[in-house]
Amino acid sequence: MSGVQVGNRVIGADAPVTVGWENIGRVEGGPFKQFFFTYFQPVMLFAAVAFWYYAPNSLAVASTAFIVGIGFKILLLGLEWVNPRYESWKLTWKEFATDLFYVGLGFTVLRMADSYIGADVMIEFVQGVFDWDKFSWFTALPLLVQALAISMIFDFGQYWMHRGMHNWYPLWLTHAPHHYITQLNINKGAIGNPVELILIGLGVGGFFDFLPRAFLLAGAIGLTVAVYQHINVRFNTPGWWRYIFNTVEHHSVHHSQDYEATRSNYSATWIIWDRIFGTCVDGEAEVLGMEGGRRMDIRETMHFPFSEGYKSTKAWLQERFGQPTEQRQEPAE
Amino acid sequence: MTINLPFFDAIWRARGAMVIDEEMAPATAFERLDPMFQLHGTKYKVDGDTLTYTKDNPTPQDKLATFTRGSLKVERQSGQTAVSYDVRSHALLYCFLAPLLFLGFAGLALGLNAIDPPDPKGKDETEESAEADEEPQQLHWIDQMLGAPAPDKPEEKDSEEGAEESDKDEVKPKHSPTSAYVLAGIFFLIYCVGRFLEPLLLRRTLRRALTDPEWRLPANPSDRRDVVTPTFAKPEE
Repeated sequence: MSGVQVGNRVIGADAPVTVGWENIGRVEGGPFKQFFFTYFQPVMLFAAVAFWYYAPNSLAVASTAFIVGIGFKILLLGLEWVNPRYESWKLTWKEFATDLFYVGLGFTVLRMADSYIGADVMIEFVQGVFDWDKFSWFTALPLLVQALAISMIFDFGQYWMHRGMHNWYPLWLTHAPHHYITQLNINKGAIGNPVELILIGLGVGGFFDFLPRAFLLAGAIGLTVAVYQHINVRFNTPGWWRYIFNTVEHHSVHHSQDYEATRSNYSATWIIWDRIFGTCVDGEAEVLGMEGGRRMDIRETMHFPFSEGYKSTKAWLQERFGQPTEQRQEPAE
Repeated sequence: MTINLPFFDAIWRARGAMVIDEEMAPATAFERLDPMFQLHGTKYKVDGDTLTYTKDNPTPQDKLATFTRGSLKVERQSGQTAVSYDVRSHALLYCFLAPLLFLGFAGLALGLNAIDPPDPKGKDETEESAEADEEPQQLHWIDQMLGAPAPDKPEEKDSEEGAEESDKDEVKPKHSPTSAYVLAGIFFLIYCVGRFLEPLLLRRTLRRALTDPEWRLPANPSDRRDVVTPTFAKPEE
């Protein structure tokens, strides 16, 4: 397979990746279906922003965001059923149960761990170190400006953390299990080693003391944009959306079995970070995963960073101080 | 010594039989089912009229991904074929046990709350000092013009929320077990659905594979790679 030249790189040399918007699939069906799956994403984004902008204070609270988030995900699961992007990505009972297990970890034991070692502690520490009153000018800005800034700053942090995970072996070990998924579904974002899930939460946006409403607005942007990166739904996403926001097309390229393609599209919400830093590849892929599509089970996902790290360290030590042994797993960085 | 635990067995085992309106030899039937056993991590053995298989961590695209071990028996009858199956599912077993794990997490949350209770005195002090310094945040004039609701003033907040809270004089625990209880219930529900649905889907898959010449397994993406040689693809004949 020859692949396609994108900048200095060749994409799709190892596994099939469609590069460019011209060749990707379109929604098949009548005018209503075409209309629905063309405008669903923008309408939901603007509806969410309008809701959080105008909701009375009694409703503009985190618990509302939680309930809306769950309801929206149930709706998206319905869309996956009605209009799947690929038949080979169709959600099965076993995959749904497995995905929900990881989601459940996030809502229970990881949340507990986070309060001791995760983002909550970091935010408390950073807020205590600096005099944040100097940033009070920020909270005087219009709400939407604050919300956009929060969303973009947080995503900027996630971009570099994610890029770091693909370029520094110890971080890669925590992220690798997430790349063993062989299909995308709405809850696949939760799949991964818990260490990674704690690390990815360490964005920089949370360090600022924003107005709660602006923070909820930023969350609404995240919910109605980033949520689509792991979804098995065929959309006719508008061109302007694809230019500024991350999409399932971008993220499927990132999850493809092609090594070079996995080193692209790192952002969660704002693909313009990838465009700015030269890591964006517009396109899509169906064949996903690592090691030829080997599925990683829950048990291996839990111990992979530690067992693989132990093996790599042992191999490195033996290489340096003793006889060489087996090489570490590729692709790593 | 064998221990007979029928109720335990029913958690993860599915057995049944069906009749196909076409007489076929076991070898013919197994040939039609063959694509399901040429996938990643599958080992199988045919012994006369019985096929025994195991699947090690199959991909989601594998139609037998839920039932990872078992046997199929094919018997010719007059003008018909009887197919019986006896299969087991680790996924069903783990899903059955998952509520216990989440109940354990709920217990952990309660335990951590007992070990590390929130400090009501300290919290009140910090809240009071913060509120004393806090001035009501003014909205930007653009937001005022567009009609966004202004933030509540501290005294309004106190009158709405504070009264109830001060009556109770309770401090919110650090960890809530509620989500763990909800997830335990959800996994019990998922188990019930799976225990009912998955054997039905298995029967449908077997029937289609045996009777519909047009039916084929949904293409496993990994089988369609044209650079890396699949280790589990059906060898070319």
